Amino acid sequence: MASYTKAAQQWATFARAWYLLDAKMQPPGKIAAATVIRLEGRHKPIYHALSDCGDHVVIINTRHIAFSGNKWEQKVYSSHTGYPGGFKQVTATQLHLKDPTAIVKLTVYRMLPKNLQRRTMMQRLHLFPEDVIPEDIQKNLLQEIPQPRAVPKRLDEYTPEEIAAFPKVWTPPKDFRRK
Amino acid sequence: VRGGPGLPCAPLRPPAPRRLTAVGRRLRSLYFTLSVPRPPQDTVAFRLNESHCVLLSLFFFFCPVVEVTEGNTTTIEGRIIEDAETPNPPNPSGQCPICRWNLKHKYDYVDVLLLSQFIRSDGGMLPRRITGLCFEEHRKIAVCVQMAHRAGLLPNHRPPLPEGHIPKKPKLNRYLTRWSIRSAKPIWRRGPKWCKKTMPVGHPLLKDNVKYTHKPLYLNH
Repeated sequence: MASYTKAAQQWATFARAWYLLDAKMQPPGKIAAATVIRLEGRHKPIYHALSDCGDHVVIINTRHIAFSGNKWEQKVYSSHTGYPGGFKQVTATQLHLKDPTAIVKLTVYRMLPKNLQRRTMMQRLHLFPEDVIPEDIQKNLLQEIPQPRAVPKRLDEYTPEEIAAFPKVWTPPKDFRRK
Repeated sequence: VRGGPGLPCAPLRPPAPRRLTAVGRRLRSLYFTLSVPRPPQDTVAFRLNESHCVLLSLFFFFCPVVEVTEGNTTTIEGRIIEDAETPNPPNPSGQCPICRWNLKHKYDYVDVLLLSQFIRSDGGMLPRRITGLCFEEHRKIAVCVQMAHRAGLLPNHRPPLPEGHIPKKPKLNRYLTRWSIRSAKPIWRRGPKWCKKTMPVGHPLLKDNVKYTHKPLYLNH
């Protein structure tokens, strides 16, 4: 506040920022919750619903999202074309194979407030199935949003020292043969 | 009553004597006629050779066969590797390994270093009479192992596939999966809020685990 000019302060406050979010091994609901906050502008102290202060969010690796439970098989996305007999129901697996960004897009769309600004906010959301981003978007990125879920380590990702340091919890009997 | 949340395990019962059925007796006689190797006929001095090492590895828990060549003599030996429990557990008076190491409500599907001690190399659980776990903890560990397998955290503990088998199904990331992938069916009509068909997450056996947040644990999404 003391060392910036008024113009620089104004610019930094009201500029539209670009955020990056890596959706690898993350649940789409938590990704969407973090995204919606930034798209609305609720992370800013100057937030007002009418003042259009939302930022851009770029989500990468949407192909590698992880659903908890059996939602890949149980969750059903329904739509109607408007024509008779046009009711379509598709499981999350089928939708994801058809379009890897559709699940995250629908989740964010349904979490945004149901007003006229929802469409403009969706235009500021950029989804990419892998981590390949166009150059011009890459140049705009400011900050990365931290991942909402802590990704667990696989057994082969532990170092042999860590495996040896973990105590053995039971003794096998003398005549036991381990396969 | 012992064996509830926050209480030590119920005392372990001594194992029931194993009785052999008719089918078991036939299989056992078949095993002994086929698998015991014939002793070598032309040995004068006794030296540990390969068939002895195979027999040794049948009867001792971990006995890899090691071959060492020193000049003219080749020594084949089976080394017995001791795989015992780490000494000085925090609670030596506990009945099962989980109580002895004070892990009663503290492990989850993520703790692969603990879970991998109770599984075979093809991913199945070891029997309770061998590991020494009490009944509730054995079930909880089995549930955690299932969830870890479905989350892909145990990639090297897979059952051996036949040769040339290419998995055709797409591998989707998942975690806290309660039901098996083939058995879960789509919920076509979820219903109104007052009678919603929920999608279960996690397992109710693990609802007494220690929570480090103030958020409640949602098992039905």
